[in-house]
Amino acid sequence: MNRARWDLLQALFEAALVLPEGERAAFVAREAGDDASLQVSVLGMLQADGRDDPLLDRSIPAAAAATVGRIDGRVLGRQLFGPYRLLRVLGEGGMGVVYLADRADLGSQAAIKILPDAWLSPVRRERFVAEQRTLAQLNDPGIARLYDADTLPDGTPWFAMEYVDGVPLTAWCRERRATIRQRLELFRMVCEAVQHAHSHAVIHRDIKPSNILVRGDGVVKLLDFGIAKQLESVDLPADQTRTGLRVLTPAYAAPEQLRGDPVGVHSDVYSLGVVLYELVTGRLPYRAADRTPEEMAALVAAAPPQRPSVAAKEESLRAGEVWTAPGSAAWADLDVLCLTAMHLDAARRYRTVEVLLREVDRYLNGEPLEARPDTVRYRMVKFAGRHRRAVIAAGIAASLLVGLVVFYTVRITRARNAALAEAARTGRIQRFMLNLFQGGENAVAPADSLRVVSLLAGGEREAATLDREPAVQAELYQTLGTVYQRLGKLDRADTLLQRALTQRQGLLPPGDPEIAASLIALGQLRIDQARFEEADTLVRRGRALTQAVLPADHPTAVEAAVTLGQVLEKRGEYAAAIALLDSVVQRDTAGRTTGPELGAHLRELADAHFYAGNYPLADSLHRRVLTMYRARYGERHPEVATELASVGEIEIMLGRYPDAEQSYREALDITRGWYGENHPETAANLTRLGRALTYEREIPEATSALEQALAIQERVFGPVHPQVAEALNELGNLDFDQDRYDLAAMRFRRALDIYRQIFGERHQFVAVAMSNLASVLVQQKDYRTAEDLYRRSIGIYEATLAPDHVNTGIGHIKLGRTLLRQRRYGEAVVESRAGYDILIRQTDPATSFIRAARRDLAAGFDSLRQPELSARFHAELADSLVQPAVAR
Amino acid sequence: MELADLPEVSGVERAVIDQLFGAAYEELKRLAASVRRGDPSATLTPTALVNEAWLKLSATPALAQLPPLHFRRIAARAMRQVLIEAARRRLADKRGAGASLVTFDESLDQGATTPESLLQLHDALEALAAANPRQAMLVECRFFGGLETAEIAELLGVSEATVLRDWRAARAWLSHELRG
Repeated sequence: MNRARWDLLQALFEAALVLPEGERAAFVAREAGDDASLQVSVLGMLQADGRDDPLLDRSIPAAAAATVGRIDGRVLGRQLFGPYRLLRVLGEGGMGVVYLADRADLGSQAAIKILPDAWLSPVRRERFVAEQRTLAQLNDPGIARLYDADTLPDGTPWFAMEYVDGVPLTAWCRERRATIRQRLELFRMVCEAVQHAHSHAVIHRDIKPSNILVRGDGVVKLLDFGIAKQLESVDLPADQTRTGLRVLTPAYAAPEQLRGDPVGVHSDVYSLGVVLYELVTGRLPYRAADRTPEEMAALVAAAPPQRPSVAAKEESLRAGEVWTAPGSAAWADLDVLCLTAMHLDAARRYRTVEVLLREVDRYLNGEPLEARPDTVRYRMVKFAGRHRRAVIAAGIAASLLVGLVVFYTVRITRARNAALAEAARTGRIQRFMLNLFQGGENAVAPADSLRVVSLLAGGEREAATLDREPAVQAELYQTLGTVYQRLGKLDRADTLLQRALTQRQGLLPPGDPEIAASLIALGQLRIDQARFEEADTLVRRGRALTQAVLPADHPTAVEAAVTLGQVLEKRGEYAAAIALLDSVVQRDTAGRTTGPELGAHLRELADAHFYAGNYPLADSLHRRVLTMYRARYGERHPEVATELASVGEIEIMLGRYPDAEQSYREALDITRGWYGENHPETAANLTRLGRALTYEREIPEATSALEQALAIQERVFGPVHPQVAEALNELGNLDFDQDRYDLAAMRFRRALDIYRQIFGERHQFVAVAMSNLASVLVQQKDYRTAEDLYRRSIGIYEATLAPDHVNTGIGHIKLGRTLLRQRRYGEAVVESRAGYDILIRQTDPATSFIRAARRDLAAGFDSLRQPELSARFHAELADSLVQPAVAR
Repeated sequence: MELADLPEVSGVERAVIDQLFGAAYEELKRLAASVRRGDPSATLTPTALVNEAWLKLSATPALAQLPPLHFRRIAARAMRQVLIEAARRRLADKRGAGASLVTFDESLDQGATTPESLLQLHDALEALAAANPRQAMLVECRFFGGLETAEIAELLGVSEATVLRDWRAARAWLSHELRG
């Protein structure tokens, strides 16, 4: 049939329809002429138009019933399923049809689940097989066991499982008029089964009384893991398992399930809460009849359910029953139990089924409940929410994070035989946790507002119960300690890392690498605590152990070397640090270590070069790392920001201030986006930007940046911390430039105090602070004190820095000017000349200090009446002003 | 797969179709179960499942531009495909006697609706599509997708009167073909 033919058919059909019925046949015959088939078609259409069509008018449901989801009655009674013979249908679930089967050879019974229409989609087959795998994993008296599984010749998969001849939980309680206590005892058995599933990382997702059968002997069995889910399979947006969302049961589903959000342990806790509610009150918390998931979600979100105590009273009045009421105090506890488990906010529910179980036990023992809604998990979720972007960037949904951490502690508690799998898991989660907090050197957020610490406290409590697993316990202490350290909670980290070390020393042979790992971790903490001597001792001890038992390229051995390099650098032993870190990087390159490890090692080496004053080397190393990290993490990652800041630091030292400003702005932009405004990394980059702006004379902008930074840092770190001192130092410089000398002196004194407390007297930061304070004193005409400070600072520079360090040069120039002001011209020109000679050998001679030196030398030689020398520096000064040398 | 013929559905969305396919099946299974329970109110509504699949799929960039009505048209096609595929299997099972293990139970046949009649409808609809694709699409949306007259009018860019007129002619022709 072509288009024209069809148009003709339709035209004739419609023309005939407007005629009285009696005239239609004649009309069609006339119009069709000798086209007999046209005539037949149109007449057929007219007939069809007037009568019911069994297919077209019935539409889809009948067609579906004829084709979809059926199992042939003839399968019954035939032995097609291994040793089993199907007897009758037990039920039809979302993911298959369940039959009762018997096994003649053993005289036993089983339930057989079949997936009809398995051909339809791989997704359905996968889910069916997933249920089978889940059951195979679980081995608990409260969960129906898997017996056998296979596929029929036509590809239909089936599996056989334990047949439970029982009655749904609520019906059982109703029929037997069970007491509250009996109901709670049954309920705790359900919890144990769910807990068992959770400890295998399986979330049931469809807990409801019809899936909980009570056998004649009173044993409770949890059934139907058809939509259960492995916790580790992340609920990504593309997750297809939710195709069968409809199979959830709105009355028992958690709000997040109803909304289609990711589910976790907390969703099963909610469903258990509903079951408990129904058990103790005799009715559902919300009337769910015929509601869609969307309607149900709206209802649940609108208001909390009626308190169980009230509902139970109403219900027993309505039914005319009298319960053996457990008393008002007990009802208050039941209210708390149900409503906590069913909290709308997943974070405020019992964080695990285990916790719920303990509460049920407390209730049954007549002990007071422990639960308060504001639990560790709540705080954890809050944390995850605040740092959502970081968490998502790590590729992991926040809920998974919570689930994993909770699961981890549960799992650890249950680890009765610490097998290899456990070790692998521990290592994986440890890396996961550390990566979560990675990015900021010191802290993820201000320590006092950091709710995640509460999570760690929970972890500590769990760890404390692991007495019989001292090795796992030590591992957990070590992990928690390192996490605390990353969070800047150094005291807590100290306790835990010490505990891990002590435990390992008592548990393991003296040369064990785990002891070395503990020593090194503690050493790293000492570095953060600025207790460098102790760090040195600890790390050297750890390194000696690794050198005795491990190959040089073993991760622990490498870590030992790098950490020692850090200690050496912090102690100002730059040459030794560089030599050690150089050897690490060379071994990396030879062994083709790439990625984050190589980047981290190069960075340490670059820092050592930087502090030693080898700027071009430091610069090229940092730029290498920057390129690596950009390729690896993208443009806007904290690691990239850190490298940009390092590059900016070098640009400052080389006098390339606009470049430095640009680098710092990029770094600040990244950290602000990543961590938010109130974070030490943001503050650190504000400080750096403030410094660059100060050098560029953008005073109001610089002041604002630095004051923001100082405020953040004092809040985060407390009053005595190098970063607070750094901010004070920058602000002091700014005050100085604005001729606010008293204020400047106060700030520099505070910075000096802080540096002395942390580093002792002989450290270049102490020298910098002294030198800056001296500059103020010069302006206040206190030349004697200034001179003393300059001389001490130059002494420290010479003892701690590379020869000809810029700072040493600047120190000499400043000292020279002080002497000039005191009209001690002979001494002045010696110092100015020494400083000038040092600075002029550096890469960029255009700094203000060189100009100052020239001016002072010209003036000094004038006063000393040495016209030739004076003229030389006058000339150089004039040149540099005419054509500002920009040696890039 | 016929879906590839639709201009809005390119190879990129192919994976997405499988999901829609699953949703269509679940919906059909639900309807089938209601019919077998003797529930007379079983109707194909703008289904929660297909809606949900749409919500999910509309988040994929390739489909973000696709108007919801077009999505429902694709869903109708998925329904049709599932039904036809299921009908073919039922028929194949019946004919291949020995292999018929899990198959259509004839004793529970639903009136005149059989796998055969569905396949006949499918063929007739193909013939109609060759002559007038728009009218074939109309039937597909209405019969397999449960779209309302107004929705179909909007989808096809014609008046509701035209939709009703075209449906009447197409229905009459198909019904006649199915009888003959």
